[in-house]
Amino acid sequence: MKRYFREISVTLALGLVLLGLAGFAPAFYQPQPLLSLATREAPTLVVACGMVLVIICRQIDISVGSQFSVCSVCAALLAARGWPLAMVVPASAALGALLGAVNGVLVAGLRLPSIVVTLATMVTLRQGLNLVRQGAFVNLPDSVQWFGLSQAAGQWTLVGAALALLVAFGLAMRHLAAGRWVYAVGTDAEAARLAGIRPQLVTFLVFVLLGALTGLAATMNLVQSPQVQPMVGAGLELKVIAAVVVGGVAISGGRGNLWGAFAGLLLLACVSPALTHLHIEAYWEKAIQGAIILLAVVADGVRQRKQKF
Amino acid sequence: MNASGSHSAGWKSVVLRYETLLFVVLVAEWFFFYHYGTTTNRRGTVVGFGTLDRQFDILRHSCEIGLLALALTPVILTAGIDLSVGSLLGLCAILFGKLWHDGGLSIPAAAALTLVAGALGGGLNATLITRLRLPPLIVTLGTYSLFRGLAEAITHGAVTYTDFPAGFLFFGQERWLGLPTQAWLFALVAAAIWLLVHRTTWGRAFRTIGFSPEGARYAGLPVERRVAQVYVLAGLIAALAALIYTARLGQAKADAGTGYELFAITAVVLGGTSIFGGRGSVTGTLLGVAAIAVLKNGLACLPVVIRLNAAEEMSGLLTGALLLLALTGSVLPKLWSSFRSRHRRT
Amino acid sequence: MKNPLPRILLVLGLLAGLTSVSAADGKLMITMMPKAKGNAYFITCKVGADKAAKELGVELLFDGPTDSNAAKQNEIVENWITLGVDVITVAAENKEGLSTALRKAQKQGIKVITYDADALPDARSFFVNQATPQGIAWGLLDEAARLCGSEGEFAIITATLTAGNQREWLKLIDERLAAKYPKMKLVAVRPSDDLKDKAQSEATALMSANPNLKVIVAICTPGTPGAAEAVKQAGKVGQVKVIGLGLPNENKRYVHEGVTESVMLWNTSDLGYLTVYAAVALARDELKPGAKTFQAGSLGSFEIRGDNILLGQPFIFNKGNIDQFDF
Repeated sequence: MKRYFREISVTLALGLVLLGLAGFAPAFYQPQPLLSLATREAPTLVVACGMVLVIICRQIDISVGSQFSVCSVCAALLAARGWPLAMVVPASAALGALLGAVNGVLVAGLRLPSIVVTLATMVTLRQGLNLVRQGAFVNLPDSVQWFGLSQAAGQWTLVGAALALLVAFGLAMRHLAAGRWVYAVGTDAEAARLAGIRPQLVTFLVFVLLGALTGLAATMNLVQSPQVQPMVGAGLELKVIAAVVVGGVAISGGRGNLWGAFAGLLLLACVSPALTHLHIEAYWEKAIQGAIILLAVVADGVRQRKQKF
Repeated sequence: MNASGSHSAGWKSVVLRYETLLFVVLVAEWFFFYHYGTTTNRRGTVVGFGTLDRQFDILRHSCEIGLLALALTPVILTAGIDLSVGSLLGLCAILFGKLWHDGGLSIPAAAALTLVAGALGGGLNATLITRLRLPPLIVTLGTYSLFRGLAEAITHGAVTYTDFPAGFLFFGQERWLGLPTQAWLFALVAAAIWLLVHRTTWGRAFRTIGFSPEGARYAGLPVERRVAQVYVLAGLIAALAALIYTARLGQAKADAGTGYELFAITAVVLGGTSIFGGRGSVTGTLLGVAAIAVLKNGLACLPVVIRLNAAEEMSGLLTGALLLLALTGSVLPKLWSSFRSRHRRT
Repeated sequence: MKNPLPRILLVLGLLAGLTSVSAADGKLMITMMPKAKGNAYFITCKVGADKAAKELGVELLFDGPTDSNAAKQNEIVENWITLGVDVITVAAENKEGLSTALRKAQKQGIKVITYDADALPDARSFFVNQATPQGIAWGLLDEAARLCGSEGEFAIITATLTAGNQREWLKLIDERLAAKYPKMKLVAVRPSDDLKDKAQSEATALMSANPNLKVIVAICTPGTPGAAEAVKQAGKVGQVKVIGLGLPNENKRYVHEGVTESVMLWNTSDLGYLTVYAAVALARDELKPGAKTFQAGSLGSFEIRGDNILLGQPFIFNKGNIDQFDF
C-alpha cells in the first residue's frame, strides 16, 4: 500500500475528477467523444511509455516533441509519395530510433547531461524542420486515414495498440531482466555495473527505444487526419513529462512504473475537456494544469516528510 | 574557478580555461560578423552588423535573457534548475501593468511591488523545493504552467497594458551616458551576482552545495536556507527582467517571456556551468549570453542568411549546434585521458 | 590530408561567396514581415509579394518570428533598421508593441507600410487593408447567423488567448452579437495554440459538452480543418456546421464533403502583391499621402480611403468556387 501511494493517490484524483464530471457534466460520458479523446491521446501514451523508461533510467528527453514533428512530416511525405503504410510505419519508427540514437550516443557515449543534450537537439530539430518546410501542410492520400478502415475500426485499432504497448511494457518492466536493468541503472549506475549490467548500453538503448516509440506515435497520429501540420507535436515533451511525473515516476531515477504514468496521463488529458464541459473559461486551463502538477508532487512530498519525522 | 591565487598554475591553465576558449570563440564570431555582416546600402551609408546602433541593439535585445541567465547561474550551481523564470517574467509584467493601470499606483510603487511579487514567486519554488524536498525540475515545471496560467487568468489573455509614461520607457528604449539604459542595470546586476558568487562565503556555499549537499551539511552550511535564497533571488531578477521587458516593448501582455527559460539555460550551460552543479562561473554565463546574442544578431545581418529569410531558424540551429559542440568539447579531454590510461594499463 | 591547399581554397571560396552576394547593386530593398512565418496564410502572401518584387525589379526580404511574438517582431524591425533597408512592411502582431520600433525606423528615413494588421497610425505611412477587422468579424458572425437561422448555440476556436488580432475580432463579434443577434449564444471560446490537432480535440469536447451546438467558427487558419475533422469523426456532419478562416487547399476536402460550409479569406496572394507595389511606389515617391487611388500592376486600381489602401472585401470560398483556387 505504502509503496504504491503515489499511483493510488493519482488514481484517486482521477476518480474524483471523473466523479465530479458525472455529477456536474454527465454529457462527458458519451461513447463517441470519449473514444475520440482516447484516440487523440493514444500517441501521447505511446511516447509516455518510452519516457517512463528514460526517466526511470535517471535521464530525461525534452526533444520528443521535435522528434515527433520530424517523424510526422517525413512519414507524411513518404505516404504522400504513395508508400504503403506497412512501410511508412517502420520507416518512421526507424527514423525516430535514429534520432533517439543521436541523443543516446551523446548521453551514454560521451556522458553528457541528458537535459542539455536534448535541449540542444530539440532546438536543432525544430528549427531545422522550420527551415526546410516553412510550415507547409502535407496532404495525405485518402487510403492513409484510419489505415483505410472504417473510422470506428481505426480508432479502436489505435487505442488497442497503445494499450497493448502499455501492458507489454508494464509487464516487461516488472518481469523481464531487461526491465529490471533499467531500474538498476537508474537507482545506482555504479552498483549496476558491478552487478554485470552495462549501464551505458542500457542508457543508450532506452533513448533509442523512446525515439522508436515516438516515431511510431507519429504515425499513429498521422492516420487520424487527412493532413499533417509541421507544428504537430509542439509542446508534447512537457505534456508527456508532466504526465509521467504526476504519475509518480521519480525524476531522480529508479522509482515509478507505467501504470502510474498512465493514470497521470489520463488525469492531465481530462483537464481540458473537463473545463469545456464544466463551462470554465479557457484562460484558467494552464493555471489549473500547473496546480495539478504541483498538488501531485506536494502530496508526495508531505507524505515523505511525515514519514521522516 | 576564478583566477585568484592560481599564478602558480601558470599561463597554460589560464589559456586552456573554458572561459578563455569561449572568449576567443566570441571574439572570432564578432569579427566574422563584423567583416561579412557590414555593408553599404543603396544610399551609401554603412549598414549592418558593424554599426554602433546594431551593437546597442544587441545589448538591448539580450538584456532580459541575460538577466534570467544570471538568475539561473546560482540556481544551477546548487545543482538545481528553474524552468519557471520565463513564466514568472510574464506574470510579473502583467502584475506591474495591472498595479499601475488598474491599481492607480505610481510607477515606482508598482515596480517595487512587482519585485516583491517576483521574490514571492521564487519563494513558492523555494518552499516546495526545500521544505518538501521535491525535485526542482518538477516543482518549476509545475510553476512554469501555474505562473503563465495566472498571467492569462488575470488578463483573460486579452488585456494588454500600454501607454506607460515616457519616464518609465526611458529604461528600455533610451540611452543614458552613451549606453542603452537597461545595459547599466544589467551591468549592475551582473556585478552584484559576480561578487556574490565569487567573492563571498555566502555565494561560495552555492558551489559547495552543488558538489555535495551532504558534504555541505556536514561542513555546517545551512543548505536549505542557501538553496531557498537562490530561488528567491531568481524570482527577484525575473521580476526586474519583466520591468525591463515592459519598458523596452512599451507593453505588458500575458505572453511576455515565453520560451525565455530555454534561452537562459542554454546560455548558462554554454558558459561552462555544469548542469549537475558545483562547477561554473558568472563570467562564463556572461560570455555564453554574449555568444548567443552575437550569433543571433550577426546571422540576421549576414547577406546569405537574409536572402534565405531564415535568421531565426539558422540562429536556433546554430545555437543548438554550438551547445552540442561546447558540451562535446568539454568532455573530450577527459575521455581522451581515460582512454589513454586504459590503454596504458593493458 | 597531405596537401591542405584545396581545403583552404574551398574555405576561401565559401567566404568570398558570402561577400559577393552582399555587394550593393542599387536595387531597392523592401522587407516584409508576417505575424508568423510558418503560417500558410503568410506563405501565400509571400507568393504574391515575390511576384511583385520580380516585376518591379526590387529585392524582397521576407522574415518574421516562427511563432507570433511581439518581442521578436520588434527585434527584427530593429535589425532591418541597422541593415538600412528602404521600406519596411509589417503585419503587426500587436498595435502598441511594434509601433515604437516602427517610429524609430521612420526617424531614420525608412518608409513604413503595414498590411494585414495595423500598427498605430503615426508609426506608418499607409495600411494595406485587406479587410477591416469588422469585415472579418462581422462577416464570420453573419455567416454563422445565416447557417443557424440567427438563433442557437455556437462556439469559437481561436489561435491563442493572447493574440492581438484574435482579441479584436472576438470583441467585435461580442458587440455585434449583443446588438444584432440576441438569440444566438456564444457558449465557449477555446484556444488551439495554432495547432490543427488541438483544434480537433477542442471541437470534439465542445460538441459533446454542448449537444445543441449548431456552428463552430474557427478564427485561425489551422483551426478550420481541425474543427471540420472533429465534426466528421463525431458523425455530426450537417448537424454542426463549420466555418472559419482558411486556405482553399487545406479545406477543399471538407467543403466538398459538406462538413465545412464555407471558408473565408481575402486573397492573400493579392495582399502580398499589393503591399509590395505600394511599398515600392512609396519609396519612389509615386505614392503620396492624400492620394485617392493606387495602380498596382496587373491587379489594376485600388481605392485609398484616408491612409488605408483597400484590397476589397474578404472572399468567401464554398463548394461552388473553391476548386478554382490553388494556394
